[in-house]
Amino acid sequence: MYFQVGLADAETIFALSSGHGRCGVAVVRASGPASSTALRCMTRLTRNLPPPRKALLRSITDPQSKEVLDRGLVFWFPAPHSFTGEDSVEFHIHGGPAVITAVLHALGSVPGMRPAEAGEFTRRAFQAGKLGLTEVEGLGDLIHAETEAQRRQALRQMSGDLGRLYQDWSHKLKRCLAHVEAFIDFSEDELIEDGVLNQVDTWVCDLQAEIERHLQDERRGERLRTGVQVVIAGAANAGKSSLLNTLCQRPAAIVSPIAGTTRDIVETALDIGGFPVLLSDTAGLRESPDLVEREGVRRARERVDQADLTLVVVDCAHLPSDAEQAATFLEGHLRSVLSPQEQSLLVLNKTDLLPEEQRLELDWELRRVSGLPPVCHISCHTNEGLQDFLAVLHRSVKTLCGDPLSCAPTLTQARHRAHLQQCFAALAQYQRYRDIDLALAAEGVRLALTSLGRITGHVGAEEILDIIFKDFCIGK
Amino acid sequence: LFYTRKYASHMLTKKPPALQSFLSLVSRHSSHLVRQQYDVIVVGGGHAGTEAAAAAARVGAETLLVSQKIETIGALSCNPSLGGVGKGQLVKEVDALDGLCGRAGDWAGIHFSILNRRKGPAVWGPRAQLDRQRYREFIQSELLSTPRLTVLEGSVEELFVSEPNPEEPGHHRVTGIRLANGSHPISASSVVLTTGTFLSGSLFMGQSKSPGGRIGDAPSSAGLSHTLRERLGLRTGRLRTGTPPRIVKDSVDLSLANVHPPDSHPTPFSFLNTHTHCKPEEQLPCYLTYTTPGVERVVRESLHLNCHIQEDAKGPRYCPSIESRVLRFPGRRHQVWLEPEGVTSDILYPQGLSMTMPPDVQLRLIREIPAMHRAEIHTPGYGVQYDFVCPTQLSPALQVKSTQGLFLAGQINGTTGYEEAAAQGLWAGVNAARCALSRPTVALSRTESYIGVLIDDLVSRGVTEPYRMFTSRAEFRTSLRPDNADLRLTLKGFEEVGCVSIVRYQEAVRVRDSLQDALATLQALALSTQNWRKKLPDMRMSEVKNSLLTGMDVLRYNDVSFEMLASAFPECLSHHMEFSQRLKIEGTKSDLGILRQIQKEENMSLPQDINYLTLPVSLSHEVREILDRVRPTTLGAATRLQGMTPAAIIHLFNYVRRTGQKERRSHRNKPDQREERKAEPAARNASLPQ
Repeated sequence: MYFQVGLADAETIFALSSGHGRCGVAVVRASGPASSTALRCMTRLTRNLPPPRKALLRSITDPQSKEVLDRGLVFWFPAPHSFTGEDSVEFHIHGGPAVITAVLHALGSVPGMRPAEAGEFTRRAFQAGKLGLTEVEGLGDLIHAETEAQRRQALRQMSGDLGRLYQDWSHKLKRCLAHVEAFIDFSEDELIEDGVLNQVDTWVCDLQAEIERHLQDERRGERLRTGVQVVIAGAANAGKSSLLNTLCQRPAAIVSPIAGTTRDIVETALDIGGFPVLLSDTAGLRESPDLVEREGVRRARERVDQADLTLVVVDCAHLPSDAEQAATFLEGHLRSVLSPQEQSLLVLNKTDLLPEEQRLELDWELRRVSGLPPVCHISCHTNEGLQDFLAVLHRSVKTLCGDPLSCAPTLTQARHRAHLQQCFAALAQYQRYRDIDLALAAEGVRLALTSLGRITGHVGAEEILDIIFKDFCIGK
Repeated sequence: LFYTRKYASHMLTKKPPALQSFLSLVSRHSSHLVRQQYDVIVVGGGHAGTEAAAAAARVGAETLLVSQKIETIGALSCNPSLGGVGKGQLVKEVDALDGLCGRAGDWAGIHFSILNRRKGPAVWGPRAQLDRQRYREFIQSELLSTPRLTVLEGSVEELFVSEPNPEEPGHHRVTGIRLANGSHPISASSVVLTTGTFLSGSLFMGQSKSPGGRIGDAPSSAGLSHTLRERLGLRTGRLRTGTPPRIVKDSVDLSLANVHPPDSHPTPFSFLNTHTHCKPEEQLPCYLTYTTPGVERVVRESLHLNCHIQEDAKGPRYCPSIESRVLRFPGRRHQVWLEPEGVTSDILYPQGLSMTMPPDVQLRLIREIPAMHRAEIHTPGYGVQYDFVCPTQLSPALQVKSTQGLFLAGQINGTTGYEEAAAQGLWAGVNAARCALSRPTVALSRTESYIGVLIDDLVSRGVTEPYRMFTSRAEFRTSLRPDNADLRLTLKGFEEVGCVSIVRYQEAVRVRDSLQDALATLQALALSTQNWRKKLPDMRMSEVKNSLLTGMDVLRYNDVSFEMLASAFPECLSHHMEFSQRLKIEGTKSDLGILRQIQKEENMSLPQDINYLTLPVSLSHEVREILDRVRPTTLGAATRLQGMTPAAIIHLFNYVRRTGQKERRSHRNKPDQREERKAEPAARNASLPQ
């Protein structure tokens, strides 16, 4: 069978859809008109295609050499009931690189087939109307999801929760705009009373409050996508780099007993209980005549300012032996490292060097002092207290990200945030001009809808007119 | 190049020549002076046709206006009013481009008011009730005094087309017309069709249906309709409209209606007029009354006698007949405006009572309204159904894409309303003339005018119901104000389009320079809050700031007028008093930076030679077909197409930007002279206080 291949989208594309590297099962997907041909000649199904969307166990062979490449499950998704809306096929095969390479090579030898470009399946799905804009973004996240919690949030967005929320706002805004427009274009000749505007005032006010609440999720969703910024800071030689190495279980940073070993920022990505974390080690905070080290300290302070969470590491050996004095010292030390509002954990390192009773006394004293962050005792040397510390860290990171499976959908894209902020500001313009110049006030609602439209899709003047003529009897 | 026109003929102090002498001149034209060859022929003498003919002649083309009946040229077929919200902006823009309807309105108006006064100057709607006879007289005398313009009575039987000019796009070329009375053909380079409701028009009243476009006028020949559809292959659709019965004024008990007075100081439409022909105290009022349950009952009882309402051509949602209003929103009272038809007229026009039932039922219906319980009908209402040409087949110059030299304007393009027709007529006339004189056609953007919005909506989106202008259709509404139409269009109209006389141009330049001067003076006037308070003791300045406030800042305050500033600083501001209102408006408007960015995207033009079907950009087949069919001229127009996806727009945007850069690089060494010439007025515009 020969297919006319004129337009880009009439070509059939294929790709390995599961992750790269060694894995148990790999999924190879093909989409486009030649999918069925590919399925037939690689599974030697001469007469009938398999029943749609049902797993079928077959030997998978090379159409040219007739050699059996693997034995696996095949799925047939006839258009339009597939992810891309086109005829699609999936091969679930064993995950060895040799098998995958052989199957991809065999697919490439089928006429009309070519390897897919990055994101091409999603693009086809989007153009076939299978996905909304937010869903496409969610899908991009899904493909790049590296951790379990990220995957869950991406899935949540895929199913359209966020899309539904924004869509709902868009509907409300459309109604607001339609009523303002009706008041401008028709109220002089028609029975449209000023009460219409009072209704709009209420709607705009409610909407603003809702968007504001959504924006005030403290960047949780966004953090989940890009990773929580955790910064290790503290005095020189407190064991900050050792903590980094302990956490990432490899010697990522150079560790030495010499103070001022770390001068630049050392970064590493971690998975803390399913949440992505970007951990940075910084130069020890001290006055130094060394130009390079001074720059390192400046960068360290800058990084602490931008951090979502700071781990303030303190060398136990440098604490005053009197518990009360030690508590005062720690309070002062925290103030010198952090500005007051910032989230932090206090990590007392080298706890193996501290006598047991002194440690208990200190703990007791620290619990009495209010306003201190959670305190953990660890020893990077003996790994003592590490499990407890990880549990505390996990709790903090989880709070920062928010649980993607509970509560309202959170923001996942910095872009969404920017458009929503614009939308919010535009609604404020409505309120500012409401009694001065209605055309400028209406402009505010229009801008709000345009900003939201950059997430949910464009809203045209005709749509607004449709609402006007549905809600009002315009007779002149 | 530009014809210098004397304004004596329309000076408001001077009456236009009497209708009688005009008719005699025209008949002499038709017997001796009609030539065999014109640059432009305009078919139809309504709002579109008269503006088209006058504009074509202003641009410099030898122009012939053909109308079925000379005496109905410039007639107001439906309501006796002009302007309104959105429509008033169109009148101002037509006037800014030196068109007729604004000055005609100032001459014929008998009741002036600015609608939406409480809602911000961008959406003010200048409006006037008109004296039908005066309006017609003014238009006719204007046409008569327009050089290069000949008026001929006749019905067009045939449109001649031939092989296209191979150097231009299109499948046909228009070559002229033949009239019904069998006379010889008249050839022309451009033809503008403004046939209104006459294209396969049928009239409906009760159960009777007869061919025609307006009661009392002969139906137009089937030849034109046939040529458009069969020979040129144009897609057409069918629309319907209607008009109310006219009521004998003396039979109405006006004491039972609410009086609606005009503005005490009438504001003229035209930028050239400082006052209206009608004296303020001579204006006539309108009256407002309401429908009753009895009206609804009569409508329901007579539905079976009403074949117009049962037909399935599309009528407008915003100007529905009383039948559709009652059926769509039952159980409500609906407004009925009783409008005067003229100073000496004994007829009232019941706005909102358009109806198509048999005349005896019409009488029963209006008598259900208290103020009209003994009213007599002068002329019954009726419905019209007519063909329109789907306007997506036109270019932004209003030229039929497939036929060189053929332009369409007015209801033939699916619009409704005098102002919409006038605006299209003017623009089609301008381009028909430019085309005939071998000059490039011109387009107006939606960012600079309502005319641009109107035409862009028509040619890129098409119509599903009669199209009417609303301010909500204009994305750039806050800058497309009625007060600044001259700054937006008159300068361009002279410098780039050629449809504006030198007199008007010089006036616009004077206005622009004075406004700029005044704004600069206000900006330079910087005082501390304390000093402002001393100068303007009446002003409530709420916050005390340390910084200086300029005159512009202070003018933004609600309770500060330019007059107050001028009396506080007479030496530098009093000579700008003429523009006090415009300056106050300039002061209040906010600067919306986002708009400027959208404006840039909006104006990004798409190359007209793109092959969308093979464009190496990721576009779905559906989107390719839409783009190929409509061929939007700007990216902004593309975003408004139905069926476009955001992803497609982004791909298109990237493609155009990429190719645009490439082209600029390759053209860098050979600058285009025409672009250089264009760049100059654009630069001047940029500094305008818009």
